Amino acid sequence: MPRTTNRLCWPTEPPAALDSDDAPVLRFTPPAWAKLLYLRDAGPTEIGAFGITSADDLLRVEEIATVAQTASVASVAFDDAAVADFFDDQIDQSRRPEQFARMWIHTHPGDSADPSSVDKSTFARVFGRCDWSVMFILARGGDTYARLQFSVGPGGSLQIPVAIDYSRAFPGSDAANWQAEYERNVTPQRQPARIGRAERASALFDDHDLLTDDLNDPDDPSAITADYDPWEDMH
Amino acid sequence: MRVLYINNDGGGFADFINVPDGQAVSDFFAERMTDEDAGEYLIRVNRQPVARDQKLRDGDRISITPVKIEGALAGEIPSA
Repeated sequence: MPRTTNRLCWPTEPPAALDSDDAPVLRFTPPAWAKLLYLRDAGPTEIGAFGITSADDLLRVEEIATVAQTASVASVAFDDAAVADFFDDQIDQSRRPEQFARMWIHTHPGDSADPSSVDKSTFARVFGRCDWSVMFILARGGDTYARLQFSVGPGGSLQIPVAIDYSRAFPGSDAANWQAEYERNVTPQRQPARIGRAERASALFDDHDLLTDDLNDPDDPSAITADYDPWEDMH
Repeated sequence: MRVLYINNDGGGFADFINVPDGQAVSDFFAERMTDEDAGEYLIRVNRQPVARDQKLRDGDRISITPVKIEGALAGEIPSA
């Protein structure tokens, strides 16, 4: 099966090329990217966040914003009330929903950034009614995956490249505040549940707690989940 | 009367709109979120969860935000 993820594509063209409208590219400012890497590596669990973009470039992530969440080495779930609080807070800061609520970001254990069936299902269910949205996954091993979906016009989705945009001035690290945000919002889940056989191999390499007794159960519903592809149901 | 309405569907929305006086939250949802299941959203008024029959008041802020935003490897069961 061919790999669908990609290493971060470092721009080889002058920065102006990043502003081309020819093809969409998901770009991170250096501080946003640094914060995402920091949060990914701050603990053993996945982490999730919203990407906040500039008003004039909705594919340029300027800030990574976490909300209260429960996470394990192989899952992350946002607290519903925290999501609502996040919306309220962002509106109070005069941002529009398209700037703060369209970029769903999370990390994966291991080397694969390929979205799981749960990831795809969430992306379709939660963000499928938005005019457009992006799911971005960063693997611990460095691979990235970005999918842009849109529901306007004929609808559809496509995988888009990812880059870091150094074209504008940027501030330095803010590790103390990033750590405080991590500790405030990310609650580790102590008892991970079952892992489907499709992704078992990639998940098990670094967390032996995932070796549960029922991985080989032929009736494991996760096996069904792993085969389900909601993309086939979209549009 | 006017209420501030926040949601993320379509183009996203965060603006004041006019609604009938005393409109129930359930009627507001049915009108604005056609064919959608209220169980798929958290509906709050002035940052507080509300009953479906609560009446909106002038100046209220009503937000309809998604729930169960979760990622997981297949078979993993997120529990927020």
